[in-house]
Amino acid sequence: MGSLALAHLFHRKLRTSLSVLAVAIGITMLLVMLGLSHGMLNEVAERVQSVDAELIVLPENENVIFTAGTAFTSRIVPIIDSFEFGGRRVVKRTISVMLDTLHMGGQQQRLFGVDRTDMPAFLGSRKVVEGRLFDDGRAFGNHLDSLRNPNGYYDPSQISEDELRAACELVIDTRLARVGSYRVGEQVVFLGRPFKIVGIVESGVAGRVFCPLQVLQLIKNGGVPWVSLFFVQLQPPPAEQRTMGGDRQGEGVSQRIGAAGYEEAVADAMSKKIKAKVEPKSSYRNSLYESFSQVYLYINAASTVALIVCFLIILQSMYAMVLERTREIGILKSLGAGRLYLIAESVTEAVMVCVTGTALGIGLAFATKYILEAAKPLLTITLEARFVGLALVIGIIGGTLSALYPGYRAARLDPVAALTFE
Amino acid sequence: MDHADDILLRARGVRHTYYAGSVGTPVLHGIDLDVRRGEFVMIMGPSGCGKSTLLNVLGLMMRPTSGAVEIDGKATESLSDGERTAIRRDRLGFVFQRFNLLPVLSAEQNVALALKLRGRSADGQAAAALDRVGLEAKRRSKPAALSVGEQQRVAIARALVARPKLLLADEPTGNLDSANAAEVLNLLEELNRSDGLTTVMITHNEHLVDRADRVILMRDGRLEQG
Repeated sequence: MGSLALAHLFHRKLRTSLSVLAVAIGITMLLVMLGLSHGMLNEVAERVQSVDAELIVLPENENVIFTAGTAFTSRIVPIIDSFEFGGRRVVKRTISVMLDTLHMGGQQQRLFGVDRTDMPAFLGSRKVVEGRLFDDGRAFGNHLDSLRNPNGYYDPSQISEDELRAACELVIDTRLARVGSYRVGEQVVFLGRPFKIVGIVESGVAGRVFCPLQVLQLIKNGGVPWVSLFFVQLQPPPAEQRTMGGDRQGEGVSQRIGAAGYEEAVADAMSKKIKAKVEPKSSYRNSLYESFSQVYLYINAASTVALIVCFLIILQSMYAMVLERTREIGILKSLGAGRLYLIAESVTEAVMVCVTGTALGIGLAFATKYILEAAKPLLTITLEARFVGLALVIGIIGGTLSALYPGYRAARLDPVAALTFE
Repeated sequence: MDHADDILLRARGVRHTYYAGSVGTPVLHGIDLDVRRGEFVMIMGPSGCGKSTLLNVLGLMMRPTSGAVEIDGKATESLSDGERTAIRRDRLGFVFQRFNLLPVLSAEQNVALALKLRGRSADGQAAAALDRVGLEAKRRSKPAALSVGEQQRVAIARALVARPKLLLADEPTGNLDSANAAEVLNLLEELNRSDGLTTVMITHNEHLVDRADRVILMRDGRLEQG
């Protein structure tokens, strides 16, 4: 049966090639769309999750990608710092971040306004590959702190234009540097001011662009210390904290929970206290996916439609085959080919086309990934093994289903009528 | 006197009518026929007398409107399509006027197909069958590269390779010139004589009648025993 199916496929090389190509295009589209959507979100999630912190504090119903503006004042920081859970203070450090966007590398980039002393939490083990970090020695930050009143505010008019200009510094990651061919010492206009690139760090950090928090607050807020979100580092939980005896929200519930459960419990309690969205960094990825659920719905729908069209092409091709090979089917029936044989032959041929098309589609998807990522280095296309496996399963199932009806039609042909068919 | 186990093929009261809508055209009118094992029977008649229809009924390719066909002692009128297909596959061999080879397969693959349909591996048998008909050297050739005589010999090899009990030949020389026709007839005759292959052949060519053990004339859907 396999040799007959193969013989037919090679006999009509052009038709077979077109059918294989149709499947390949559908599979490529599926994989690239999934890979692009998951890749981009995974990359953002991984970068945010690379921050050395356990919790993220955001305004309600927002996430790191979408949040804009400055919903929090600095007054909330001592509240977070002093937060108690299980009868003890659990916060090690609160990292303030002000977010903005600027146009670099041909697209909008998320800019993280961060205090100089908090940069190690973002860098982790990543190195500065060129130049230095901004606000060397935290000189500008210390200067502003020296001007603050007991309420934490200062008069912006006390900052000279030269001081501000000197403090307008950026640090970017290597991917952005490669895309825009940026070098240390170049200037980028942001908020109507020239910002100098003073350093390039290894990619994988939460943001592709960093600048001094104080500079951003000064230019955008007139020095008012508002921020967009916080990353919160927690103290390691003590061993006994893992058995929550009557400490969880005063419910008197005793239970053993792991580290993830501990972070979730702390986040839950903190959220209620400060009336903001507090989530464990570890669940950030899921949170991000939920935020983009509508996009995934569209992507899945578009991919499904593309695949249905592909397999309809296969069905149509197989159906045409039944009509073309009517006499041949009569010959097979005269030789004693049963219905199952004819259906199986149809399915075998279609599955061969679909598996070949799927394999080609997977190859094209990888080629597309490399081409797109080379052309647009800020794009991330992730072709996960589960997607490739899904493509293979779809190829086999789609091929089988596409061939069942044509095979059934072939099996039902009257052998005598089929033999005399011209 | 014919003993029951001597009769390989038996038809009784076989009638067949073709219908186009509600209009029926009777083609076979009460055919009775017995073919003994090892016999070479030739059914001869003019075009349109119902020869091919009779062969299709005897070969279980179509069900008669009425009547019974028995093959190797097995009544077939109440069999399902699947059971009829199985008998056709396992006990019968067909040779057609138009050869009916699969154009996408080589000669050897065409012959091997008959074995594969029976769930058997070719295992050199296809090559041996082609050798029997003098075409071993052309086993890798596709039908388009073979002469008409060679194609018909491949078809005969295909019909024989699975060792059928009964060979049904529908005008096997109809598309051949006299030289090729003689060659094919010689082959069929030899298979009948040496292997005892029971053969029923239909033809309109009266020059072939001396090859058969028995010639039956057919006219207007009826047999006139010869």
